[in-house]
Amino acid sequence: MSVETHAHHEDPDVVGSRNRLGVILILVADVAFALSMVFVYFYLRGQNVNDMWLPAATEERGAIEPLSSGPAWTVTAIAAFGLLAHLYALKGGREKNQTQLKLGSLVAMVASVVALVMQFNTIANAPFTFSDGAYVSCFYLFTIMNFVHLALTVFISLGNWNRARLGLYVSNLWMVDIVRIWWIWMVVSSLLGAFSLSYP
Amino acid sequence: MTTLMSKPVSAPGKSVIERLNIVTAVVLGAVSAFVVWRLALQFLPADTEVRLFTREDKITLLSMVAWFIGFMTGIGALVGPFRWVMGKDLSHDENMFLAGKDMGVNRYFRYTTDHKVVGIQYLVITMVIFGIGGILAMLIRTNLGTPEGGWIHPQAYNSIVGTHGIIMIVGTIIMVTGPFGNFIMPIMIGARDMAFPRLNALSFWLIVAAAIPLIWAQFIGGISTGWSAYNPLAGQAPLGMNGYIMFICIFAISTMVAGANITTTIVRMRANGMTWNRTPIFIYGTMASVALALPAFPVFFLSQVMSAMDRALDTSFYNTAGGGSGWLYENLFWIMGHPEVYVILIPAVAALMEMAPVFTRRPLFSFNVAVMGIAGISGLSVLVWAHHMYISGWAPLLNAPFMLTTELISIPTGMLFLVLVGTLWRGRLWMTMPTMSIFALLWNFMIGGITGIYLSDVPADAFLHGSMYVTAHFHYTLMGAGLTGALAALVYWFPKMTGRMFDKKLSWISFWLVQIGFNVAFIGMFTVGLAGQPRRVESYASTFNTGNLITTIGAYTIMVGMLVLLHGVISSWRSGDKAPMNPWQAKTLEWTVPNPIPLENFDVLPTVTSDAYGYGKAKS
Ligand SMILES: [Cu+2]
Repeated sequence: MSVETHAHHEDPDVVGSRNRLGVILILVADVAFALSMVFVYFYLRGQNVNDMWLPAATEERGAIEPLSSGPAWTVTAIAAFGLLAHLYALKGGREKNQTQLKLGSLVAMVASVVALVMQFNTIANAPFTFSDGAYVSCFYLFTIMNFVHLALTVFISLGNWNRARLGLYVSNLWMVDIVRIWWIWMVVSSLLGAFSLSYP
Repeated sequence: MTTLMSKPVSAPGKSVIERLNIVTAVVLGAVSAFVVWRLALQFLPADTEVRLFTREDKITLLSMVAWFIGFMTGIGALVGPFRWVMGKDLSHDENMFLAGKDMGVNRYFRYTTDHKVVGIQYLVITMVIFGIGGILAMLIRTNLGTPEGGWIHPQAYNSIVGTHGIIMIVGTIIMVTGPFGNFIMPIMIGARDMAFPRLNALSFWLIVAAAIPLIWAQFIGGISTGWSAYNPLAGQAPLGMNGYIMFICIFAISTMVAGANITTTIVRMRANGMTWNRTPIFIYGTMASVALALPAFPVFFLSQVMSAMDRALDTSFYNTAGGGSGWLYENLFWIMGHPEVYVILIPAVAALMEMAPVFTRRPLFSFNVAVMGIAGISGLSVLVWAHHMYISGWAPLLNAPFMLTTELISIPTGMLFLVLVGTLWRGRLWMTMPTMSIFALLWNFMIGGITGIYLSDVPADAFLHGSMYVTAHFHYTLMGAGLTGALAALVYWFPKMTGRMFDKKLSWISFWLVQIGFNVAFIGMFTVGLAGQPRRVESYASTFNTGNLITTIGAYTIMVGMLVLLHGVISSWRSGDKAPMNPWQAKTLEWTVPNPIPLENFDVLPTVTSDAYGYGKAKS
């Protein structure tokens, strides 16, 4: 993420604010993506085409029952915990407390891994096949996309922790601050999914 | 810990960064695709009776994803992120290497971060795209030269139409913001490079990576759905559809990356003193274009993810039997599809607005109106998508509101006309090919715009929908207006980009051939469209014969004009007259740097004290 590509030295604050704007703009795209997913969910739910949002029982199998949205909320809660840990790290960094910075980053990273594993389990243990109607299609879309997000979060929080560990954040914290923005979006997007899945 | 940071990483011998280039990328991509294809063939379970026809889609998609990951790894896209995670940021020397310092021609075949290299790469790939799309167009027109068609197999014809459509859409999306937004824009705002040079390289190489699945698609059934790939039709189309899906997904990532990068550069890196009302209008056009694409393309991306899931996993997003909806696809597609029209048009018009003051030697006629026009079009363009769906039966009650918003767009569009006409009015014109292009744009865009009003009108659209009239209309906007602006931009900025003047005679010959051919071709197409000839059909009733013949003759004229232009590009680039620093005596910053432009553009960053249009007072 370093942008000081050239010999001409730039103020870290300038570089930091530029990077922050860049990340926010990329998030604009991601937000559009997530909101479109919510639109898809409620559109198909509202249309209930051929009564196939949640198909009724047939001769071969029983009716499709929606899953509890509990696991989705749990994953969101773990992500929120990760965000809190990251905020704790950032606070430590601001107070020149390197230990707190490292500890918070580590906990955030661990939280992201736990959330990733939980999300994987939700997908792997879902009692559906992909062709079980529109709700199930959306269920897979939401959980798989959240999984992808969490995988990115693992990557980012791993890097963040490692950089904290190496003492790269001693002189300035703008990168930790940008990782915070990502974490917030991670929680909000996961929450959008959990919210939607609460209305099967 | 600190030794890790301070130790120079570029040790003797070749580092990873130095080894990677287009060859390693293609090899790694091809090998990955092949390996994954073999493994998938071996291990993927056969389709069950419940889920038919998904296995081949899975195999195809997995192989294409493998190509994509392999290619991007091989070109070096992952070096930066992994070095970041490892806490070993690229050193100054490594960054200079990535910027292509002292590397000669080789830097065009690498993950080079210098915006000028990326600009040239974009220029070349745009020309390649137009070349391929143009050949496909000529195949279409040749087949339509006679009513019975038959020269091309109907299935192949469908695929040619679909591929021509999508490839030209992508070509026109990148034709201004790619070459000129990357090469010229940073210099124009007085910056040393883009905000995120590595993302800049990424956005370009993603397009190269995306091209292969589209070519691949041609060999596995093609893209038989037209460029819009409507579902559920696309769900039933041959395997080639997967190539379309991958192409769109990768291109959407490229658009996102480029959009964030270009917007950040413009917002944060303008020279000292370049306030918003001193920022050249081309910069506004570029930013409006990429900022509009930023929220639009993710919607397209999602629509294709779901398309892929429907095909490969048998989900039912679009399949009505399983609770899906074709209207869902249409909505998602056009929520992207209409803003995209302005993603294409705005920077092309803005480029001509940048040139108008230069060639009339007068200030831009109302800079503020120009900015308001661009902003108005951008804002309205996200509220009009369902005018593509009047006849689809989706929400008939919304037809009237969408008709209203669509027709409102004429107002900000009219503002852009006003600015161009006002700048030309009573000016003493310096007649160059770019100057004449302004007139051509006004003429073509007027026809494209007015026919668009008919199409936005619900009752008229009920008759015109799905006919060649629609095809002629959007060619008038995207080609007649958009491409005309891009070609003018090429001639205008050619001296700065290549250090040589574009051959004047060739620019004129090609201009007239293209413009006359274009108007002949598409006026012909309007007549047959009005008479009822449907689009995307390989043969037609003999009553449409004359109009089609005229269109085909026009198309061949365009082809000749384009070949002249290509000749002009190649010969001028190789042996044109050496360009002075500021051949047009323009006042924007890109003309203040010497030819060839030094690696970091400016030795001392400029300070701006006025707008770029100080050519004296405009008279009446
Ligand atoms: Cu439209």
